[in-house]
Amino acid sequence: MAPKPIASPVPDAWYPTLAVFMLAVGLVVTASFFIYEATSSRRNRSLAKELTTGAVASVFLGFGSLFLLLSAGVYV
Amino acid sequence: METEMGFSRFALFLFTIALLSSPVLSDLVLSKVDRRIYLTSQIVRYTATLRVENEGSELVSEVLLAFPELQAKNLAYLTVSVNEGKGKQKVSTDDLPIEVVSPKNMPPAVSFYSVTLPKGLAPGDSLTLDVMAVFTHALQPFPEKITQADIQLVVFQDSAYYLSPYAVKVQSLSVKLPEARIESYTKLENTKVHGSEIKYGPHEDLPAFSYSPIGIHFESNQPFSNAQEVEREIEISHWGNVQITEHYKLIHGGAQSKGEFSRLDFQARPNVRGASAIRYLVATLPPRAHSVYYRDEIGNISTSHLWSDSKKTELLIEPRYPMFGGWRTAFTIGYGLPLQDFLFQSEGKRFLNITLSSPMVELVIDKLIVKVVLPEGSKDISVSTPFPVKQWQETKISHLDIDGRPVVVLEKTNVVPEHNKYFQVYYKFNKLSMLREPLMLISGFFFLFVACIVYTRADISISKSSASYLAKQQWEEVQAAIQQVESIINRCLATHDKLEASLRDLSRTGDVQACKAARKTADGLLKDLSKELKPLLAFLQSSPSASQILPKVEDLVAKEKELQERVMTKHSTVVDAYERKSAGKDIENRVALQQQKITALKQEVDDLMEYIDEI
Repeated sequence: MAPKPIASPVPDAWYPTLAVFMLAVGLVVTASFFIYEATSSRRNRSLAKELTTGAVASVFLGFGSLFLLLSAGVYV
Repeated sequence: METEMGFSRFALFLFTIALLSSPVLSDLVLSKVDRRIYLTSQIVRYTATLRVENEGSELVSEVLLAFPELQAKNLAYLTVSVNEGKGKQKVSTDDLPIEVVSPKNMPPAVSFYSVTLPKGLAPGDSLTLDVMAVFTHALQPFPEKITQADIQLVVFQDSAYYLSPYAVKVQSLSVKLPEARIESYTKLENTKVHGSEIKYGPHEDLPAFSYSPIGIHFESNQPFSNAQEVEREIEISHWGNVQITEHYKLIHGGAQSKGEFSRLDFQARPNVRGASAIRYLVATLPPRAHSVYYRDEIGNISTSHLWSDSKKTELLIEPRYPMFGGWRTAFTIGYGLPLQDFLFQSEGKRFLNITLSSPMVELVIDKLIVKVVLPEGSKDISVSTPFPVKQWQETKISHLDIDGRPVVVLEKTNVVPEHNKYFQVYYKFNKLSMLREPLMLISGFFFLFVACIVYTRADISISKSSASYLAKQQWEEVQAAIQQVESIINRCLATHDKLEASLRDLSRTGDVQACKAARKTADGLLKDLSKELKPLLAFLQSSPSASQILPKVEDLVAKEKELQERVMTKHSTVVDAYERKSAGKDIENRVALQQQKITALKQEVDDLMEYIDEI
């Protein structure tokens, strides 16, 4: 069986585009998180909403910063 | 003087050998030996074609090769293969296994290598073997110290007769020099010089262990680039890159430079003053190499050129200064390669297939250290190399690592470009381990968000009974109530919009029943909402800190109520008009007044909401 070459799971050429999109979405969700924090009063705040917004924002920001590092040449 | 002493040393050697009666080894005889020695660079390359005949009566399975011990110390690479072609056609097969042996009853100061024949040599049969040997540091510069204007002369010593434990019937030797300038050479009978080539022989019917020392003193301006230490680090990232970083410590291995160095002379007449200096080095990198850099401790070195085509990438680098004998320099080269050219998958294991040694052309390396850094989470690591090397494992902590990445370290001494073969590193890697890196980043960001949540929820005031603290608490409760009022009013407004929509539907479809049903639901909703509003209003009226905002809120509620009533009346008027089937224009006239008031009220309500929002 001839050996099969292994490549990255995400094509190289997509790295910069993915980085920009994921970071943009992540920053938008972060903004909504902070707006919710600033405008809601203490009693009305719901922990579930805060945590989910924070989790979604951190997933997008995490992947976005990973692809940013890869597109800059720091192959982590 | 040096050469003569060297000669006398070898003459003594010959004498010693002649004294000892040479033992009869096996019954092999070398019927034809053709040797060629290439002295065209600092690395001495030696090829010999031996025609071995079995004149005994037993099957012979090994052939012994002998080298004088002084030469064997410099031996870097030795391969023997069987030559199957006939006549001028040379077809080489795979390399035969070679072992260092020390048989008994042999002359001293001779090293023996035993070559195992795959099929054995039957009695009466003959076989042609191709021997290729590479020697380093075999050219001695003589004189040992030269000035910038002198030419570099080196001495090479060997034997005109092939040193072998078997008798040799016919043999010849040809020595190829880099230039036609020969200072002196040993003249035996049958010695001819053609330009830059010296031919010794043919000699016939020589017994085993015959030896005749010769020395050749000639000019060599080839760059004697000698790396004392090369450290090559190969870092694999499964995201698509193999990064290679090489650190070199270079020295000029030719005649030592004495006296002063004149840059003016060197640049004005380089071939006269400094012909043997190392001006540049060439490295052949794999194709599709990217991000190539060349720097040293001071910083980037810009004197370099890079050409690439589809088969290779050539890098030409010039050190910061031309190197004369004994001068040193140190630098680092780095480049990246695409992952799919070097990493493969077979039978559940992944393996890296890459060249072992430095890509530099004609570089002699005294000590080579190769470090292969595998991604974190790699297990069951094993290495397969074409020749024996010293190996051990280490750990390296790099980007986004928890414990560190496993590193396989290979070490070899006395390395020549013939050692630059492919080797493999096998390991197992679970695909899910690749997610470890983004998960680390995600958890880092999530920690920041949790910290924000904790900060906004934490109550860090020192005194819980001070006036300002209590006032702040009350104001927060008022704010909460106002926000709830706002949301209720928004829902009321939404219900009004639904009613308006139902009116539009009515004008489209003429379905009065649906309109009436919408009216009923709207009624119910609005009643519920006003019920919810009551306790909130009561609370706001009772709390003292809401006194400023209270009139506005009450105003808002009142206006909203009025709006509600007007929308309801408008709705019922229109529905009645439809039931009585009066004309469109009629309906509009009836509701015109109501409509005006409605729009005005809507505007006021919106303004008030905005004002309250901004508090």
